[in-house]
Amino acid sequence: MSGAIEYFQFVLAPQILIGLVIGIAVILVALGLTIIFGLLDVINMAHGEFYALGAFIALALASLGLPFWLLLILVPLVMLPIGYVVERGLIQRVFHGGERHVTTLLLTFGLGLVMEDSFRLVFGPNPQKPAVPITGGIDLFGVFLPLYRLFLIVGGAGIIAAVALIVYRTRLGAMVRAAAYDRHMAASLGVPVQHVYAGAFAFGVALAALAGVMLAPIYSVFPTMGRDFIFLAFTVVIVGGIGSIAGTVVAGLVLTQVQALSSLYISPVWSDPIVFGIMVAMLMIRPQGLFGRLGHG
Amino acid sequence: MADALTRSMRASHLLLALLVIAALLFAAFGVATDDAFYLRLATEALIFAGLALSVDILLGYTGLLSLGQALYFGLGAYLSALVLMVVPSFWAAFAATATASAVIALIGGLIVNRVRGVYFALITFGMAQVAAKVVYNTRALGASDGLLGVPVININFGVASVSSASPVGFFLFVLAFIVLLYAICAYLLDTPFGRLLIALRANEQRIPFLGYRTMTARLAAYVLAAMVAALSGALYPMLRGFVSPELLFFSTSGNAVIAVVMGGAGTLVGALYASVLLTLLKSVVGSYTEHHLIVIGLLFMSVVIFLPKGLIGIVRPAIARLLAPRTS
Repeated sequence: MSGAIEYFQFVLAPQILIGLVIGIAVILVALGLTIIFGLLDVINMAHGEFYALGAFIALALASLGLPFWLLLILVPLVMLPIGYVVERGLIQRVFHGGERHVTTLLLTFGLGLVMEDSFRLVFGPNPQKPAVPITGGIDLFGVFLPLYRLFLIVGGAGIIAAVALIVYRTRLGAMVRAAAYDRHMAASLGVPVQHVYAGAFAFGVALAALAGVMLAPIYSVFPTMGRDFIFLAFTVVIVGGIGSIAGTVVAGLVLTQVQALSSLYISPVWSDPIVFGIMVAMLMIRPQGLFGRLGHG
Repeated sequence: MADALTRSMRASHLLLALLVIAALLFAAFGVATDDAFYLRLATEALIFAGLALSVDILLGYTGLLSLGQALYFGLGAYLSALVLMVVPSFWAAFAATATASAVIALIGGLIVNRVRGVYFALITFGMAQVAAKVVYNTRALGASDGLLGVPVININFGVASVSSASPVGFFLFVLAFIVLLYAICAYLLDTPFGRLLIALRANEQRIPFLGYRTMTARLAAYVLAAMVAALSGALYPMLRGFVSPELLFFSTSGNAVIAVVMGGAGTLVGALYASVLLTLLKSVVGSYTEHHLIVIGLLFMSVVIFLPKGLIGIVRPAIARLLAPRTS
């Protein structure tokens, strides 16, 4: 019996906690993706680069001497107008063409390339690591947990809850859901659909940027940081159901736990093939994902 | 009487003839200046043009965006490398790649064609990603280093033979190979089968009412595209003497998609032109700055926004009009 407890305390629990930190972060990035797809029908291939942009803006502002806690608020606020302009200025240009899925995907893919190379141009190719804002740690069920990671879990969960509240319990969220369900009907009822679209896009990329700021002290900041992370976020979105908030949360937690726990038993290099395999299997069996789409049912 | 579609394809053929003439002039120039580097680079550009051709079959005809065509390109490259290391024969590598890619694409096609639209893009992406990670972590396939030491081969045609080590000889061989792939694709896509694919792109719901099976057509297009990608990939180890997992990565698939869209989807020849132009652009811009992705990305975005029919879309209608019979 004591063997089982020790196994949990020293082997399972640390892995679960590490998985939870990654899970919360992936959910933050994936929420933006899923809201943008649920509402606009756009696969934002540049989402990982917006995540990186958040981290780089934080890095630049921190070098001006701004404290980390202020950046958590400031960076998303800076990202909102950027996202708004990208939606109005770029995505709307091809939005009404025949093959919206393909053209918007291609456009954001190109945008991602330009952004990634711009980071390399401006900030250089090497990883930079901001200082961890809270040091020290606590004992949680006998497991040592750095305080900053605890903050990520609690703060991230709070943000996720806030997003769900905004989408499902506010007038603004009702407008978003109405526009997702039927944009013409929503428009005729007086919902300013164009602004809702641009606003939702801005909101989505601001969430990704916020995740970038929060994770920067752990994973450090480099130009291709978005690329590896976004693959996982895409998988979470697909498994959870594109456009579903509940699905994103569930799939994000489950998939990162699968990743964390499977690496205990088989070499961690196989966790990526496993996760992508789950994504392919999900697309085959149930392409709409675990849960329904934003605004539908 | 040729209809508008056939006439546009004839315009594509004419543009291909121009490309071949340019390539022959380039080869002559390469021989005259005793160049190896640029001939090798151009050969590589043609090999990747084959991959772009395969993406165009799916995107330009069936309207399906594959974000994982590198899966078959890499399959062809690895398989060809493995065969060549045992039996240094082009025909053995060719036969193995053609058979294996057809079988695997049939299985893969049954998986990916369960879904359509944006889900197709994502599932092809996911499959390629699984394959890339598996190869990257498999020691028997050289893991992250890839397979090194693929021998130089002589490609025998009975009467003549070409060495893969000869820059100009192998360049001309790859040129002929890609032109042949283009010709086969152009022929197949001009048959009733090709028209069915175009109809699929226009309105998939209507096809069954016309008495056709959508699944068979989609599967056939998928297998054809996969084989074109795999056979192009099979040339890669002959050129470079090694294969690496990068060939399977998303950037390889992504570059092919960029080439197709910039050249003009559904023109076939556009994919070839754009692949060659992109390689040229990379080496020209690359000699000034290492940030060529910004330039390519911006060009790509402008084509998506302003030229939905791609670069070939500017000139091809004019050529097709010239080819049209005069009616008075």
